[in-house]
Parts: sequence; C-alpha cells; structure tokens
Amino acid sequence: MKHIDSDIVVIGAGPAGMAAAIKARELGTEKVLVLERDTEAGGILQQCIHDGFGIHRFGRRMSGNQYAQAFADRLAELQIELKTDTMVLELTPQRTIYACNKTEGMLEIHAKAVILAMGCRERTASQVLIYGDRPAGVLTAGAVQRYINMEGYLPGKKAVILGSGDIGLIMARRMTLEGIEVEGVYEVMENPGGLTRNIVQCLDDYGIPLHLSTTVTEVHGRGRVEAVTVAQVDENRKPIPGTQRRIDCDLLVLAVGLIPENELSRTAGIEIDPRTRGPVLDNAFMTGVPGIFAAGNVAVVFDLVDYVSESGEIAARGAAEFIAGGQTSAAEYCPVLADGEVSFVVPQRIRKDCREATFFLRVKNARKTATLRCIAGDETLLKKKCMHIAPPEMLTFSTDKIKGGALTVSMEKEGEADD
Amino acid sequence: MDISKIEKAFKKKFPGEKVSFSADKRSIVTLRGEVGTWENLVAIGQWTAKRPEVKNVVSKLTVPGLCIPKKDYAPFKAAGEALGVTERADVVIIGAGISGCGIARELSKYSLKVLVVEKDDDVATGATKANNGNIHPGHAVTPGTLKAKLNIEGNRMYTQWAEELGFELQRSGAMGYVTRWPLKLALKYSYSKAKKNGADGAEIVSGKRARELEPGLDRCGIGPKVKAALWLPSMGLVEPYQVAVALAENAVENGVRFLFNRTVADVLTEGGQVKGVVTDKGIIEARYVINCAGIYADEISAMAGDECYTIHPRKGVIAILDKAKRPLFNCLCEHITLDEVKLNLKNTTTKGGGMCRTPEWNILMGPSAAEISDKEDLSTNPQDLAYAMGRGGDKVSYGDVIRYFAGNRPADYSEDFVIEMSPVTHGFVNVGAIQSPGLASAPAVARMVENIIRQDAKETGAPLEKKENWNPKRIPPPELRRMSWQERDELIKENPAYGRVICRCEGITEGEILAAVRSPVPPASIDAVKRRTRAGMGRCQGGFCQPRVLELLAREQGDDWTEVTLKGGNSNVLLKENRCEEKAGEVSE
Repeated sequence: MKHIDSDIVVIGAGPAGMAAAIKARELGTEKVLVLERDTEAGGILQQCIHDGFGIHRFGRRMSGNQYAQAFADRLAELQIELKTDTMVLELTPQRTIYACNKTEGMLEIHAKAVILAMGCRERTASQVLIYGDRPAGVLTAGAVQRYINMEGYLPGKKAVILGSGDIGLIMARRMTLEGIEVEGVYEVMENPGGLTRNIVQCLDDYGIPLHLSTTVTEVHGRGRVEAVTVAQVDENRKPIPGTQRRIDCDLLVLAVGLIPENELSRTAGIEIDPRTRGPVLDNAFMTGVPGIFAAGNVAVVFDLVDYVSESGEIAARGAAEFIAGGQTSAAEYCPVLADGEVSFVVPQRIRKDCREATFFLRVKNARKTATLRCIAGDETLLKKKCMHIAPPEMLTFSTDKIKGGALTVSMEKEGEADD
Repeated sequence: MDISKIEKAFKKKFPGEKVSFSADKRSIVTLRGEVGTWENLVAIGQWTAKRPEVKNVVSKLTVPGLCIPKKDYAPFKAAGEALGVTERADVVIIGAGISGCGIARELSKYSLKVLVVEKDDDVATGATKANNGNIHPGHAVTPGTLKAKLNIEGNRMYTQWAEELGFELQRSGAMGYVTRWPLKLALKYSYSKAKKNGADGAEIVSGKRARELEPGLDRCGIGPKVKAALWLPSMGLVEPYQVAVALAENAVENGVRFLFNRTVADVLTEGGQVKGVVTDKGIIEARYVINCAGIYADEISAMAGDECYTIHPRKGVIAILDKAKRPLFNCLCEHITLDEVKLNLKNTTTKGGGMCRTPEWNILMGPSAAEISDKEDLSTNPQDLAYAMGRGGDKVSYGDVIRYFAGNRPADYSEDFVIEMSPVTHGFVNVGAIQSPGLASAPAVARMVENIIRQDAKETGAPLEKKENWNPKRIPPPELRRMSWQERDELIKENPAYGRVICRCEGITEGEILAAVRSPVPPASIDAVKRRTRAGMGRCQGGFCQPRVLELLAREQGDDWTEVTLKGGNSNVLLKENRCEEKAGEVSE
C-alpha cells in the first residue's frame, strides 16, 4: 500500500473542489492533492452543456463545461496534483484517507487538512413514494442528462418529468431539443422548485406545461414504462382521490431533489445537520472534526455554481489557516440561528474569535420584498432589503462586524416587526 | 371420500355462495362456480383444503366482473412446435429459482444431461429474488407437514452449502422476547412447536441471558424490560439471489446447461409417461421433467395432465433501508406483544415478515402478505408498503427507505409443499407451492427430488451413475468490501480492474462486475449484474453507476448500448443514439 503525506487533500474535483485546491495553492500551501473518482475533473458540470454558469464570478454566461474548464486549466497551470479515477473508501477523524485506483492500488494518505467536496446525489423514485411497476424508463434527471449529453443516447420518446427543480427544467428543454416529446412537468409543491429564469427559458419558451400541486403516484409497464398516473395533491401533499389521470409515456424523469453525499463524512464521525443534510459547519466551513472542511453541495445544496466555488475558497482559507495555526483542540463556538422566514443558514455556527464571515441561507416562502437582518444580541449587524425572494434561490451576505456571541439571521415581510 | 359432508359444512360456513365440489381418488377436491369476491374465493379454497380428508384443492372458481388473467401459451407452443425437436436431455428442470437451481446442482452429481429452462433472462427472477433471505429455524411451521420436515433439514444443510458454494451465510439466531410475564405463555407455545419440529438449539432464556445474546436490546434501551425470550440459534441470513447464482454456477461447472428466455408452453406425455416439453424455442425431449415453475407450477402440472393444486398468488412488498440506518439487532429480534399474538391468531396462513437485516446490514422490512388475482402483478402500493413498514413501529421511517419491490408467493390451498413424482404422469415431478420457508428448505427439497429421481431410475432399470469428477466447490469471486486494505492492494496489483470503483454506494469495482459478466452463468441485464455484484443496490439506486454498468455489459457482450436491458425482455434502457444521423443515413440509403 502506497503512503502519501500531504498538506491539504481535496476530495472531489468538481467546482467546489477545484476552487478550493486553487485557492489553497494561491495561499501558499505546498502539497495540495485532489482526488477525483471520475475519469476527468469537472464533476457534474461535465454534463451541463447548457449556459447560465459563471454570471457572478466571470460576469458572463458560460456553459457548465466552460466553467469547469476554466478551473481545470488553472489547476493545471498551478501544477496541482490531481488523481482521477481514484475513489476514496474511508476517511478517519485523524484525517487518514484510504483510496484506490487502477495504477497505484491502495493509497493511504495522511493529510494535515481535508476538504470534502463530493457534491450531491439525486433522490430516487422510492424516496418520493412512487408506486406501481418497476420497468426500464424511470431515470433521474442527472442520469438522463448523462445519457443524452455525454454518452449520446436517448432513453425515451415521450417523457413526463416529476419535479420542477432546475435540473428538471433544464432537462425539459434539453429533451425537447433532442426530439423527445415532453408531456409536462409535474410539481408536488404549490410553487416551482427552480429558478424563475429557468421556468421562462426552459418551459414557457417551448410551450411545456407546468402542473403545480400535482405528483406522479404510479408507474405502469412491466418491461418499459407504458404510462404513469398523476394526481393532484392536498395541502399535506397527499394525492386527492378522483384526480388521478393516466398519461401514456415511455420515460419518467425524476428531478425530485438533491441530497449531499456525506457517506465519507459519516465514516469520519462528522456531525450532520438534519436540515441541510450536510455537515454542521463553522465560519471557516470546518466540520465538527478539526481539520476536516466541507465545500460545495456536500455542505449544502446550492443553486448557483458561483456560490459553490466561493464556498470552496472559504474552506481553503480555513484549511490553510488550520495548518498554519496547528489548531489541536476544538474551537469555542457561538450558534447562528435561523429565524422568521429563514429556513436555514450555513455556517451553522461561528468561532468565538470570528470577526467576519460569509453566510448562505434559504427562505421558507416567496416574497416580493422582505428585510434580511443579522442580529447579535441587541445590535443589528446587517439590514438588507431583498427583492423577489423565493425558496429555490439562495441568498448570501457577508459581514465584518461580528464581535462574538450568538447571531440570529431573520427575514421579515416588509413593514412587519420593524423596530 | 364423502363430498356431501363437505357440501353441508360449506353451506353453513359460506351461506349465499354456490360452489360445486368434486373429488378424485387421491382426495383432490375441485371447486367450480362463481363466488362473490376474490377474498371469498381464496377463503373457500383454504377452508376446503383444511377439511381433514382433503389432500389438496384445485380451484376453478371465478368472480363475476373480476378479471383473473390467464397466460396464453398458444403462441409459444406454436412457435416451439414449428421448430420441432431441438434438444434431447435426461432431465429438464422448469424454472431457475432457488428450487430449480438447487435440484440442478444436486443432479449434476450424476452422469445425466440436465437442462434448466427459464422464461426470464436470469436465475432467481421470481419469488426467490423478492425473498427476505431468512433461513428460518423451523419453529413457526405447522408440525407434521412436509414443510416442517424440509425446513429443519434444509436449515441444517445450509452450513455445508455455504461452505461448498462460497456464499455468505450468517447464523444470526432469532429471538422473540416478551416484556410482560403473562406473554411468556406465547413463548412456551412457540417453544413447544419448535421442539416438536426439531429446531436446533431452541430454548427459553431469561431476560439477562437474552441481553447477553443480543446486546442490541440494551443499546436501544429495552434490555432491562425483557422478561424472557425464545432463542433460536439456527436462524440464518443469506442474500437469496446469491444462493441461486452460486448453485447455478456450480451446476454449470458440473455440466448442467441453463436455457434462459424460454417459456415452457406444454408438457409432452405418452401413455402416462412424460416425454419432454415444448418451449417457444423448440421441443426438448426428456426422461424426467421437474416442475419448479414457482407461481406457474400449477399450470405446468396441468399441462402434464396432473391438475392437483392451484396456486393463488400472495403478494409481498419488501422495503430496503439505507445502510446509514443501522440495524438495531444482530439477530432477528421480535418483540412479542399482545398485538403480535393477536395478529398471529388472526392470520392462519401468514402475517408476512417483520423487521430483519440482510447479511449486508441493510434493514429489511416485510414482506407484507396480500392475496391477489393476477400472478404477474408485481406492482407496489401504499397499503402494502405501509403494512411492511408498520412492522417496525416507530423505529423506522419512510425517509430511510431506498427501494421497495414486490414478489408473489406461490401459495396453494393446502399451505404445504407439493413434492412428488406425479402418480398420473410418470417421470413428471412436481416441486410446487414452494413458498416460505422454501428458501430455508431448498437444500432438503433438492435432496428429496434427487432421491425421487434416483429411486425411480433404479426401479425402471436405468440406475443413475455418479460422476467421478463432480466438483462440489465453487470458488466465489472476490468481494472487495470484505477485504482488508492490504488484500485489496494485492488484488489491484494483480488485476487493475479491481482498482476502479463503479458503484460508489456499495463500493463495487469494475473487476467485480467483469468477474460476474465472465462467470459460468453470465448476467445478461443490468439487474442481473446488480444481483451478482450489488452494483446499483445502494442508496442512489444506480443513478451514478447504471451508465457504467451498461457500458461494461455492452462491451463484454459485444452489444450496442441500445440492446442492453434493465431486466430482460423489452426493458431496454436506451432507445437510440442521438448523434447518429449520418450513420442512420448511410444505412437507409
């Protein structure tokens, strides 16, 4: 078994991992090693041939591939070591990584700091309680995207899409362009799950109907999908009897949510936040296990790749400081609480000596205008008016006015609870 | 046999239902008529079979307005007859489930040409794959039945099977515990049944001993409340499809051939002697035909002129939970509550399975148990899943479920196995109604059928000869998840394919998939690869690895990607290339 010593090991070469590795090197970290299970760097961006990436970071609309390539080029330029086709099998709390690949066999890697950037996976049919038969032709949107965009195959002729998250919307357009008839997009919630711009550009522009408060309850067909049953749902998301409708199709595409891939995090004993399903993080994006950081969708599912990369850079800074400072004992923390219309805030806690930090949050309801506040005790550190907020769109803010103590992040409807 | 007595009792029991009864000299009662509901139809069959003088029941009952689908064998038969005789064999086994595979392997000891004919694309595609993998200790079966005898024998024989065939068998033990003294009576009742059947090592233990045997009781806080428990150390856990694959591979190594995607459409007989089978791909002549057709066994038996039982499918839905949800117990551990006792008393046939774990440490819930009319209906529904999940109390939630599926148990009305050389058609052997504990009994079923054939061969003047070079051993393919880092390292150095992980969730490598694809019974579909390797069995359910598995299958089989199926038949995953306009143009020009 090959032994490797490294300063910072990044697990995953998607947009979070590459950004983290690049930042770590730019900050002067000598031994940076990136481990990637796929054949190439880029992560899920490899199959995202649509545009809209990089607006915040590069000020222009790029395809997912272009965005990933920009980082991959920089990675190469900085001569950062990247091991592809390399799967991490176990991570210990002492930051020992066991990984394997074809050419080197088993690797035992000792890292001074680890940045987790494994991304997320898609929820499946069983996880959203679809019943009926189990034929071929029930695929997650990501799998369909891979088959069409990377492998060059069409998995059906007529599709029903369940879930109006961004991937579902993007795939509605993509399949239409490839000649697959998209019967409609069905969404169990009363509001769309994806960004407004995607509703407009991917459904409205192509005349694809979006059915809200409606879900797929059953799949029919023993070999291939022959039809699905859809039904309207009540306020508890339970199908309303009598509203069932059978739709003939040969493909059911599931875009029903993403789950951070924290299986490795669990092997290291990292505490997971049940709301984000990612690790509980501090202001440096360090997990509860000293020296192990998390960035990108493994930490919390982001909406924009720009934020994913930004979180990678935050984690890289944290990791570099961790190595320099040689922190051995756990830091003292103050909680960051979500209040009012805020459903969660990441990071979930800050170190007592933290003076500035960047936060990411999501809201519970759509509002035309609302006020975001970050409060420490009696003091309002930040007050910001927000326009057109909605649960699918992540909000972010930074503040350098932190003086220690717990923070509360709230979002109130304009004119309410104004002090 | 006095039919009038049954008719009289029937009128009392089912007033308003009109059924005509007839019996043959074997005391097999045939029911005819129309009844009100499917539930009644099943209940009447079961009630009739319970009359002491009745051997079994053939039900031709119908329910007005209810479609009871019947498989149409005519096109298969016509296709096969058009091809004529394509094979000659000594033994044809119909069905490659756990019974068929077990018998094939047992008969591979002899100098016989054995063919296994299977309608699907792989072994274990029916009841076997939708089984919870419990090797029951034999305490729950009605004493005195064939089931009870074969369950106990089969359970014992599994140790040797596992050793020879190299599949994972964990003797986890089973425990039923009570937290209220009065319920100890229920334990005593179960214990006496276990003793009567001969379940190995059964004993009633104190609460203290129960907590030693199952530390999970204390881990989940119930330990101090346990008053007493029935301990059954012989309970085993397997992955049922792994057992079937191992048996099939070993059988093939010893000369047996498996013919997949072949439907048996008729059984040929001549003057009370079996002559062979008609399949959709030609006629196979044979001296013995062994009917292991599971849910269709009654139809096959009727083809052989021996209509002696009726299968009524009993659907079971099973839910598999994410490995992140750790099983509470090592053994199969059941809290015997008053409700459980009542449930047992209410359900004379089965209440289905409860919570257990697989050898791979997934929690498994179910199966449920629901009588249905369509043998091919393998759909899941909210009620059955709720039943399966409900057996876990508040310990499990839907959020932990990664997959649920259904299988149909081949139940007959006698609720016992039907294993015999047909008294009507010589050479035709029924192995029917093999529902629970069919998996646990499989080794004993195989041995019993071997004895039937050997005995008959001796009596008919052509005794079986043992092969000198029969090899009982199957070397299992490497399973990297069970290896140390050092062992993995060495294996990857030998064969780099073991260094590329294809299935992230279960950690399955390209090497393992290739080993399966190149095995003696090669998998032909993505699900078949899954059953052999576990690739795609994890929490993402193949979201990431399916394209890679598909690629490997296509490459190894020399197929186009669009030819690869999820589970045989027309279950193709991909329909066409989207970058092939030029190519398509060339073809059409």
